[in-house]
Amino acid sequence: MDYAIQQILNALSFGAEYALLALGLAIVFSIMGLVNFAHGEIIAAGGYSMFAISALLTGNPWVVIVGALIVAVLTSVLLERLAFRPVRYADPATGLLTAFGVSMILQNLFLLLVSPRPIAVTNLYFLNWPIEIGSVQISTLQIFETVSTAVAITVLVLFLRMSSFGIAMRAASLDFEMVRLMGIKANRVVAVAFAVSGLLAGLACIFIMARRGSVDPTFGFNPVLKAFVACVVGGFGSLGGAVLGGFLLGAIEVGMLVVLPQSYGGMKEAFVFGIVALILVWRPNGILSPPVEKGDKL
Amino acid sequence: MSSLTPGSGFRPALTGALILSVVLVAIGVLVELYGQRYQIRMVYAAYVNLLVVLGLQVFMGNANITNLSHSAFMGIGAYVAAICVTPVKIKAISLPDAPWGLNTFALDPISSAVIAVVITALLALLVGLIITRLTGIGATIVSLAILVIVHSIFLHYTDIFKGKQAFFGIPRVFTLNSILVVTVIAVFVARLFRESRWGVQLRASADDEVGARAMGVDVFRVRLVAWVTGSIFLATAGICYAYFLGTISARPFYFTHVFLTVAMLILGGMRTVTGAVLGTVLISFGLEGIRFLETGPDVAGIKLPEMLGLSGIALGVIIVATMALRPSGIMGNTEVEQLFRRRRT
Repeated sequence: MDYAIQQILNALSFGAEYALLALGLAIVFSIMGLVNFAHGEIIAAGGYSMFAISALLTGNPWVVIVGALIVAVLTSVLLERLAFRPVRYADPATGLLTAFGVSMILQNLFLLLVSPRPIAVTNLYFLNWPIEIGSVQISTLQIFETVSTAVAITVLVLFLRMSSFGIAMRAASLDFEMVRLMGIKANRVVAVAFAVSGLLAGLACIFIMARRGSVDPTFGFNPVLKAFVACVVGGFGSLGGAVLGGFLLGAIEVGMLVVLPQSYGGMKEAFVFGIVALILVWRPNGILSPPVEKGDKL
Repeated sequence: MSSLTPGSGFRPALTGALILSVVLVAIGVLVELYGQRYQIRMVYAAYVNLLVVLGLQVFMGNANITNLSHSAFMGIGAYVAAICVTPVKIKAISLPDAPWGLNTFALDPISSAVIAVVITALLALLVGLIITRLTGIGATIVSLAILVIVHSIFLHYTDIFKGKQAFFGIPRVFTLNSILVVTVIAVFVARLFRESRWGVQLRASADDEVGARAMGVDVFRVRLVAWVTGSIFLATAGICYAYFLGTISARPFYFTHVFLTVAMLILGGMRTVTGAVLGTVLISFGLEGIRFLETGPDVAGIKLPEMLGLSGIALGVIIVATMALRPSGIMGNTEVEQLFRRRRT
């Protein structure tokens, strides 16, 4: 029983991380149809900023955390302005390839300007200590991660449902042209979407850094790969789908760790992605996909 | 596309493929006559990548679905051929625990290559049944998942694939001449496929899926045909790679190679075979120059610093700039023979 609870908590914290990232991808995709492959590099930028702040300014962890969040938001907004604006109305494949290019540029910039080797940032370790609840031993980081994901999702939902700008963003995901005709600036809607996406990436960055304690040029790549898969499984463009997909992926991953024998440990990824492919055979557009119109839309 | 009758575009297609082949063979022969060993190796690598890019064009270019799993299929082709062709004595050392008696036989290079192509095509058929049902982003992400799955099997199924170590002892039977022959055939096949009934139907379905379906195009089937045809190109590229180098490992069949070849295709323009060739040639030669800068050479007496990552940045800039300025690539929709025809009139 204890073992089961422990694994469920593990699945929740894995899932929370994927959900945060998937949500960031989905919010941008739902508005401008862009698959932002450079999301991982926003996380890495946050990680490097932690290193820069603690080396140059102060080691105070709260300053480091806030600084990383700000850098992540700024990077995200800046990328939109510099790279994604020219392809805003292009088809998704063009946007996807642009994002690929941006991701490559940033990864190699980190490599060129900082170092190809991992750089240690240890001032977030304090978030991570083991505690016992009853007879179950868990780490505080897992609790923080799950709770802050829940808070972030709640705030986001409130923002999208209550504030007029949030409603404009939801409308933009249905019909961007119409929203612009209503007098809302397209640039502002897109910028806010990227800012929210960056903020979620920054949040995920904090937890990943607290767990790993070091950052390297391909830091954000694997988490974002998983987040993509989560988005696709949940249904691309649907925010609820992103969250669902994230938690589902976390559950599958932990399930695989439990079920697979030790000698197959390295093949975990292969099994996880294989299961995901099977889910897509069952529902090609993801579990919660919005209805797709394939006809002429004038 | 004046008419949908298959065959109407075949003569210009043959002319176009012939022009491209002449250029490719000319480059090959020049290098063979005047080039040094490292230049021959470089051109060989470029031609292997050309095979990959052509294979990519067959599916991605005609169906307009971004595929990122191609390096995995190249890897499968390379490994299968390597396992079949490597002499038993070497396999006894390198693969002592291989299952199913894989280390107890060795075949000649040609039948190994045939087996590699057939197995790759069969695996592609299986995967294709899933991927052709998806469109747009979903298909791309699933192709990415396939890349990760295959790579993690290469890395962790060490009994067959040797994991992080190199698989050595493959007979080095290929020279620059052999790959020249193979690429010329590939250019013709890719071009003829583009103009064939399947190619035309596929391009129509890429432009307007519902419209094409209404005209009686079996979209899934033509996509599947293109996907499997493309995988044969990729397997061939893998075989050529293994037969020239003599050693392979899992690393070259992963993201770096995926990005490199995708950049080649979209720079040239993925809708045409000419674009695929042009992009490959431009980036292959361009990158060689940048790699030279990367090592920190002396230029005009000034020692430049070592700049790792410069080639990656350059590739990224090429992709972003192409997408922003000319999303359909340099060639757009124009094949090489149309270029000449236009000039004449």
